[in-house]
Parts: sequence; structure tokens; C-alpha cells
Amino acid sequence: MNEAAPLPEAAVVAEKLTKRYGSLTAVEDLSFSVAPGEIVGFLGPNGAGKSTTMRILSGTMSGTSGRATIWGVSVALDPAGAKRHLAYMPENNPLPEDLRVEEYLTLRARLKDVEPARVDERVRKVMDDCDLTRRASGRLIGQLSKGFRQRVGIADALLAEPRVVILDEPTIGLDPHQILGIRDLIRSLRGKMAVLISSHILHEVEQVCDKVVIINRGRLVAQGRTEDLRRELLPEVSFTLVTRSDEAALLVACRAIEPAAAVVALPSADGWSTFRISLPTGSPARETLAGALIAAGISLREIAEDRFGLEDIFLAATRRTPGESRRS
Amino acid sequence: MRHFRTLLAHELRSAALSWNTWAAGGLFLALMGGIHFFALIEASRAPSDRTPVESTLWFFWLPLLCVLPLLTMRTFAEERRSGTLAALLTTPASATAVVWAKFLSTWIVWVVFWLLFTVFPLLTVQRLGTPGDTRLGDPSILWGGLCFIAVSGLLHVAIGILCSCVTRSSALAALLAFICLLAMTAAGGAMESLPIESWEWLGWLREPAAHLRTFGHLQDFAAGILDSRPIVLYGTGTLLCLGLAVLSVEGQE
Repeated sequence: MNEAAPLPEAAVVAEKLTKRYGSLTAVEDLSFSVAPGEIVGFLGPNGAGKSTTMRILSGTMSGTSGRATIWGVSVALDPAGAKRHLAYMPENNPLPEDLRVEEYLTLRARLKDVEPARVDERVRKVMDDCDLTRRASGRLIGQLSKGFRQRVGIADALLAEPRVVILDEPTIGLDPHQILGIRDLIRSLRGKMAVLISSHILHEVEQVCDKVVIINRGRLVAQGRTEDLRRELLPEVSFTLVTRSDEAALLVACRAIEPAAAVVALPSADGWSTFRISLPTGSPARETLAGALIAAGISLREIAEDRFGLEDIFLAATRRTPGESRRS
Repeated sequence: MRHFRTLLAHELRSAALSWNTWAAGGLFLALMGGIHFFALIEASRAPSDRTPVESTLWFFWLPLLCVLPLLTMRTFAEERRSGTLAALLTTPASATAVVWAKFLSTWIVWVVFWLLFTVFPLLTVQRLGTPGDTRLGDPSILWGGLCFIAVSGLLHVAIGILCSCVTRSSALAALLAFICLLAMTAAGGAMESLPIESWEWLGWLREPAAHLRTFGHLQDFAAGILDSRPIVLYGTGTLLCLGLAVLSVEGQE
């Protein structure tokens, strides 16, 4: 990595990106950015335009309009320059079956302009980092398991120490152990390179990414930190409560501290009742709810705040009409 | 240039290790060996204007149609099908470097096949010929003919590469190359067989026909006549095909 080069504000910029295939619009007016060293999750339902966007950013497909830059270099005007800062692992990670892992990585290092004197060192380093040295280095790629093939793809992406890494579904088809390994590997890149990663496994994205960009039908519906999106897209907090009190008494007690509170009965057993209490986000009652209910004579067995995950945010964002999005 | 050298070395290595190359090489040597054998038999039966080597080289179109498409069909079609071409183009290597590396490696393999073929006539002369007797084959005719194969091979290989660029199916790429090479060879042969000079209404065709007479080019090369026109024809045709191939690779989405 050339440390002397000035640091741009954004490692990846997509500005009003649009891609049309005849009358079909795959991506429309899509704008987002990835800061240097940041790991960003790129989410969307199937057919939302994620792979198309990633291919435009990687220079393997041209956009109909808009601007894409990688480390300040325009992908359209200087594709070779942009590619020098970028590593892209496409969906399904196509690899030549008839090469050995080490041979393949050596070839890729040479094509990626790694200094000739450093090629062997870099190949050894990424093979170590991706746990390929011991079990896969001398094997033909065609004989490798899906997990090792993914590792080879990621090793290839890291070879030339790029500023930006774009990974399209890097954990697709992997077992939980392999996912864990890949996740740790991606996490280790934080601060070293900007990573844009698309995945259907939302839990994984939540674990790894600093920020998410959510698109639907080719348009941006949300972007920002998970916490910010939670506040933006999920306007209420909820608590699950187990009690012997009835719904009417509970509602009266809740309304006394928050007039906008709502109570919904949930299925329950063994003589106890379970309810969900919803409060507007930012309501002061969130912090005093348990105490207020006890003070109002409600018998509590348990009360816990429901944690909304990225899955809830994703569902809320993709249900929202494209075009309503706001920058976080 | 650095990418081109890296890619060329990789393509040559892949070609050397590919079953496809070995199968094509086996078929080529079987074909040419068989043709040369029958040319020798024919020459032993009755006197002829042509030496066995000339007769064998006259059948250059047979391996051209049957073997060359086998060499070119997988160059791009297979890589497009498997997605490795798209992965290759994510590196700073340009489409031009990729196309030229695949072209040159295939051309080198094609020329190596023909050099291997020379073993047949050279062995024949060594075993059966007498010093100074050129009836079994004049080496100058052999090397002149091979020069024609090498020069015209530039265009033939470029056509095969272009055909492989436009499809994801290797079989379809081979079929396309076969049709294009057949049309080109047949057109070249037809230009020589048809009495165009005597047809007044085809007067405009005389000039282009003079350029396209493929078998005439072979004859000229074998006779040691160095005419720049076929060299320009094959050279420009090669550049045109490779230019289109580069555009095709760049335009793949």
C-alpha cells in the first residue's frame, strides 16, 4: 500500500448511479459512500441491484449514468487506475479449476502489479492469513471444497493490499464454522482497507459492518449505522412482560406514564400472561417503565426490552417505498 | 506489456497442460501423417508434377478446418461460461493484453503443430531419399509452405479467437470458426477455379479475387516468391479480428 498518497474523504463513491437494460431499470439514482477503513454491508432483497452496483463499482460493467470513484479515481474514465486500488470478489467466486492455489495467487499477484520481488512474500502472507498454507496450497482449485474456494477468492482480494475490497456474497454456501472464519478475516480488515460486502446473512453483516446501505428495486432506501437506522426506521421501542395482572390494568398503568403506550397480549401458559408494551422511541417512560408498573401494583415476573436486529431494520427499510430514504 | 508477458506465459503453460491441446495435436499429426502417407503412395504409383510434400501441404485446409477450431474454441467461450474472464478483467490487465496473449499463445501452438509435422517429410527424405534427389520433397518448398501456414495462421487463429469471444459455448465457438474458415478457404479456392477473367460482367471482382486466392498464396510462398499483398491481407485481417475481439471482451456485461 502506498502510504504517501493523500487520503481521500471517501474510498468508494457512488453518485446517482443508474443502470438500465432497455426498459428495465436495475439501479436508479443510487448514491452512497464508504469511508477509508470502514466496513459497509450492502443489503437488499434478491434482484434489488446489489450485484449490478458492485459490478459497476468494480469496472466490470458500465453504468448508464452517474459517477463511481474508487479512492478518488473515476471507474469510467480511468478503469485501470481504479482497479489498482480495488479488489473485487464476484458472486460465486469463479476460479480456474486447473491451477493450483499457489500458482493462481502468484499469477493474480503479477497481474495486480505487486512488485516482482514481493510476489512470493505476498502470496505466502495471504495464504497464511486465509488458512490456506497447510491444507490447500498445493492442491488444484477444482478439488477444493466451497469453503476453501471462498478463502482463495478472499486471499486473491487481499493480495495486492488494495485500498478497497468489494465482496459479493463472500459466505454464500458456507457452513457455520467457515462463516465464522471468513467473518473474523473480514473483521481483521477494519481500519486497513475499505470493505463493501453484500450478504443475505443479516446477522453476519450486523456483527461485522460499521454501516449498512440498503437498496430495494435498484434504489437506496436507507444507509447509516445500525443504531441510527433503528431509530429512523423503527419508531417505537417495545418490552415483553410476564405478569398475573390483566390487560386493562396494565394499559391503565402504562398510559399513566406514557399516553401513547400500547399493549398487546401474546400467547402465554401456566397461569401467567405475556404482553408486549410499545412506547414511542425517545419516550422518557422507557427508563422508568418497570418501576412505574410495580408502583401501580402490577405484579411482574419478568420484563425485558425487545432488541430489534438488522433483520427488523432490513424488513422495515425494504417495505418502505423507494425514494423516501434519508441520509443518516 | 508486463501484463501481456505474464498472461502469455500463463496461456502457454495452460495450453501445454491442457488435454484439449494434446487431443488436437494428436488429431493434427494423425491427419497430416495420413495425408503424407497417401501422398507418398500416390507418388510411387505414377509420376506427378508435385512432390509428396507439395501434395501434403495442399491439404493444409483439412487441419485448418478440423483442428484449429479445437484450439481456439475454449480460449474465451469457456472463460466466459465459467466467469473467470470477468474475474480476470477485475485486475489492471487490459482486454487488449488478454486478447493478444490468448491469440499469440494459440498461434504458437498452431505453428508448433506444423513444425512437428515436418518430422514426416524430413524422416521420409532421410530414410528413403538419396543425396541431391528432391523428388521426395524439396526442403525449400517445405519451409516456404510453412511460412505461408504461419502468416495465414495469424488470420485464421484471429478468426477462431473472435468466434470464441462472441459465445459462451465452446462447441458453438468451434462451429462458428469452422464455418468462417470454410467460407474463407472455399472463397479463396473459388477465386482461383472460376474463370473470372473471361466474365466481362465480373470485371470488378478481378482485383479483390487476386488478393483472396489462398492456394495461390501457398504456391507463391512454397516457390519462394515473397509478395507483400498476402502479408498485408493477413496482417490487416488479423488486426481487424483482434480489434473486434477486444471490443467484444470489453463490451461483455
